[in-house]
Amino acid sequence: MKTRSLLVVLSTFLLWMISCKEPIIDEGVLPFIVPTSVDADGGTWRTIILKSAADITVPQPVAVTSDAYKKEFSDVKNGVLAATPEQNTAVNYWAAGGTIRWNQIARQLVAKYNLAPGYDYATGQTTSADAGNPYAGPPFAARVYALLSVAQYDALVVAWRAKYQYNRPSLEQQGVVARIPILDVPSYPSEDAAIAEASCQLLAYLFPNELNWLKAKATEHKQSRLWAGGNVPSDIKAGEDLGATLVAKVIDRAKSDRFSAALDQTNSWQTTLAKAPYDQKWKSTELPERAPILPLAGKVKTWYDSTAIVRAAPAVPPATTSATFQKALSEVRDIASSRTRDQWSIASYWDNGPGTYSLSGLWNFLVEDLSRQEGQNELRTARTYALLNRAMQDATTASWQTMYTYFVPRPSQIDPTIKTSTAIPNTPGYVADRAAVSTAAATVLAYLFPDEATRLNAQATEAAISGLYSGTQFRFDTEEGAKLGSTIGQLAITGAKADGAK
Amino acid sequence: MRFVAYITSLGLLLSLTRQTYAQGSIDGFMRGQRKASLAIFGSQETYDTYYINTTETKNPNLGTVTTQAVTVVGTYGLGYDLDLIVSAPYVRTQASAGYFPKQEGFQDLTGTLRWEAYDYKFGKTKLSWEFAVGYSMPMQHYVNDAMVAIGRGSQNLDGRTLLHFKAPNFFITGQYGYIRRGQVKLDHIVNTYDPSQINPNSGTKVNVPDVTELIIRAGFVSKVVNIDVWGQRQTPHSDGTNIGPGIPFPTNAVGFTRVGATAYLRLLKQFGLTAGYNTTLDGRNIGKSTQINAGLVIGHWTANN
Repeated sequence: MKTRSLLVVLSTFLLWMISCKEPIIDEGVLPFIVPTSVDADGGTWRTIILKSAADITVPQPVAVTSDAYKKEFSDVKNGVLAATPEQNTAVNYWAAGGTIRWNQIARQLVAKYNLAPGYDYATGQTTSADAGNPYAGPPFAARVYALLSVAQYDALVVAWRAKYQYNRPSLEQQGVVARIPILDVPSYPSEDAAIAEASCQLLAYLFPNELNWLKAKATEHKQSRLWAGGNVPSDIKAGEDLGATLVAKVIDRAKSDRFSAALDQTNSWQTTLAKAPYDQKWKSTELPERAPILPLAGKVKTWYDSTAIVRAAPAVPPATTSATFQKALSEVRDIASSRTRDQWSIASYWDNGPGTYSLSGLWNFLVEDLSRQEGQNELRTARTYALLNRAMQDATTASWQTMYTYFVPRPSQIDPTIKTSTAIPNTPGYVADRAAVSTAAATVLAYLFPDEATRLNAQATEAAISGLYSGTQFRFDTEEGAKLGSTIGQLAITGAKADGAK
Repeated sequence: MRFVAYITSLGLLLSLTRQTYAQGSIDGFMRGQRKASLAIFGSQETYDTYYINTTETKNPNLGTVTTQAVTVVGTYGLGYDLDLIVSAPYVRTQASAGYFPKQEGFQDLTGTLRWEAYDYKFGKTKLSWEFAVGYSMPMQHYVNDAMVAIGRGSQNLDGRTLLHFKAPNFFITGQYGYIRRGQVKLDHIVNTYDPSQINPNSGTKVNVPDVTELIIRAGFVSKVVNIDVWGQRQTPHSDGTNIGPGIPFPTNAVGFTRVGATAYLRLLKQFGLTAGYNTTLDGRNIGKSTQINAGLVIGHWTANN
C-alpha cells in the first residue's frame, strides 16, 4: 500500500516534470502483431511485373549443418542479448513491418516533394522541377505508392517461393529467443532484406537526392533482423540480392510508363485546351495564373485493363448554359455561403493538398490499421498495398485523362463569389480525382476487408462529397468520379480473385 | 526554399489572429475590493504583409486581411489585493482577395486572477509587485487550421509577474509572462514532412508552441485623462514550424514586437471613453498588422485607482 502511494506521488511528480516540456506527439508504442497465417503457398501467387516468381532464381543456401552456417547462427544467437538500446529501438521500429515502414518513408518523401513548381512571390523567381527534385503532385504520389507496393509484393512472392523451396528452419525453431515475434516461415531468404533493398532502390530512383538517407534506412532495416534474432547474415544477403534483381525490373517498367512526359514541358496542354469539347474553358484561379498540375499524367500506362478503363471514361458534363449546370452551380454556392462546421471539417480531412502525402497517401495510412487488425503477414500486407495502390494510380490517371480532355472550370471560376474552405487545386474540375481515387480505394479494401465494408464505403462517399463541401467541385464532378473509381476498383477485385491468394 | 506563392499565402492567418485584448487585459492597476468595471471595445486590425519565419511577404491571393472584434472585459475586486478579470471577444476576419471565406464567431474566453503580493509606499509614490495567472479556452469549435481563421483553438495557461510603479501623475509597469499553450486537434491527419520525425503517424493532434512575453507600459495619469504608451514582445519559447504548404497553422512559431498607445477620457464619474492604436514592428509567422480600437468603460478606469 505504501509503495503504491509512493508510486502515485512519484508518477505525479514525473508527469509534472514531463509537462514542463512540449510533449512529443507520435504513434505511441505499437503492440507487436502476431500474423494470423504464414501463407505457405505464397510463392505460387501471381506476380505483377515478373511473369512468375520463378523468373528470379535464389541460389541454394548452405546447409544448416555446415560450419559456415553454425558460425553465423551462434553469432546471431549471442548477439541478441548484447543488443544496445539503439539497436533495440531499431528492432522495435522495423518490427511494425517492413512493408508498412517503407510505405511510411515513401509518404514522408512525397510530402517533402509535394510542392508545385511555379512562381514564388517571395523571391519573384519561377521554380522548376527536375529529375533530382521531382514535383510529387497527386499523379506522382499515386505512382510512387503503386511502384513501391508492386516491388515489395513481387519481391516477397519470390522470397516466399525460395523459403519453401529450401526450407531452412527459422531461428526460433533452432532455439533462438527473438526479441520480437517472428513469423514462423523458413528463414532463407530474409523477407525484410528483400523489401529493404527493393524499396530503397526504387525510392532512390524516384527521389535521387535522398539516396544516402534511404541507404541508411535500408541498412538499419537489414541489421535490425540480426539484432532481433530473426535472421542470419546469409538470409539477409540472399534477400538483398533478390530484391536488387527484382527492383531493376520494376524500374524498367517505370522508365517506360510515359510518366516522364507528364510535366508537359512544351505546354502542349494549351493546344488541347483550345480544342476541348466544353463551352467554357478552365483557367487557373491563382494570381498570377499558373500552368496546371502534370497535364499529361492522364497518358500514363495503367496497371489494370486499359481498354476497360478507357471504356469507363466519363462523358462530357452538362454545358454551362444548361439548367442542370446552373442547378449544380447554385448548389455549390448555397453550400459555400452556409457551410457548416462539419462540412468544413470533412472538406479539410480529405483535402491532402500541397506539402502533404496526398490523398493516395492518406488511404495508405488508413490501411495500416486494417492490416494490423487482421494480423496480415508481410506478404499479405504487400498484396493489399499492391492491389490498392495500383487501383488508386489508375483512378488518378483516368481522372487526369478526363480533366485534360474537357477542361471543365472549377465553380469559383464561373462564380467568383464562391469561397472555398480548401485551396482550389490548380487543375480542371471534372472529374473529381478525390472521388475516383477514394471510391477505387474503398472498393478494393471492402473486398479485402469485408467486415469493414460499410465503414470503408461511408468513408469513400464522404471523400467524394468533400469537394462539394469545400466549394471546389460540382456534384457531377464527384458523382462521375465515383463511378469511374468504382469501375477501376472492380477491375482490381477481378485481378485479386485470380492471383492465387485466398 | 521552394515556397509557392499561392500556397504560402494560405499560411498565415491563423497565427495572425492575436488574442484580441491581450496587451491590455492585465495591467498593473489593482481594482480594489468589491469594485467592478465593465468595458466594451471594438477593434479593427489589418495587414497586407506577413512574415514567413521572419521574412516579409505579400500574397496576391490574399490581399488585405481585416479582423474586427468586439471584446467585453469585466474586472472585479475579490479582495483588496486580489482581482478577477474576464474577457470574451467576438471576432470576424476576412481577406480582400482570393477565395478564402470569411470566418466569424466567439473566440477565446479568458479568466485571470491578479494578486498584489507586496507593496511599498514612499510618500506619494508606490511600488507594487504582482502576480497573475490566467486560463483561456475557445468558446466554440471554430476552424483552427485555415488560411483565414479566428484563432488557434488551444487552451492556454498564462503565468506572469508585474512590477508596477505609480507616482501621482505617472506610472510605469513592466511584466514578464509565460504562456503555455495546449495541444489542438486538427480536422485532418497531420501528414507533412518533418525531418526529425520519420514516423508520420501522429494523428490529428499537434502542439501549439509556448511563448514568453515582455510588456512595458508607461503613461500619464490624471483624474480626467490618461495617456500611455506600451511595447510588447512575444517570443516563441518552444520549437515551432514556419508557414509553408501543408504545415498546420497552429504549430507555427509565432513572435512579434508591437508598440501602441492608449488614451482614456472620463466623461462622468462612472463612465469614460477609451481609444488605442498599435502596430507591429517585426514578427515571425504572423501578419504585420496595425490595429485601432475604441470602447466604453463603465466603472473606474483602472489607472484612476
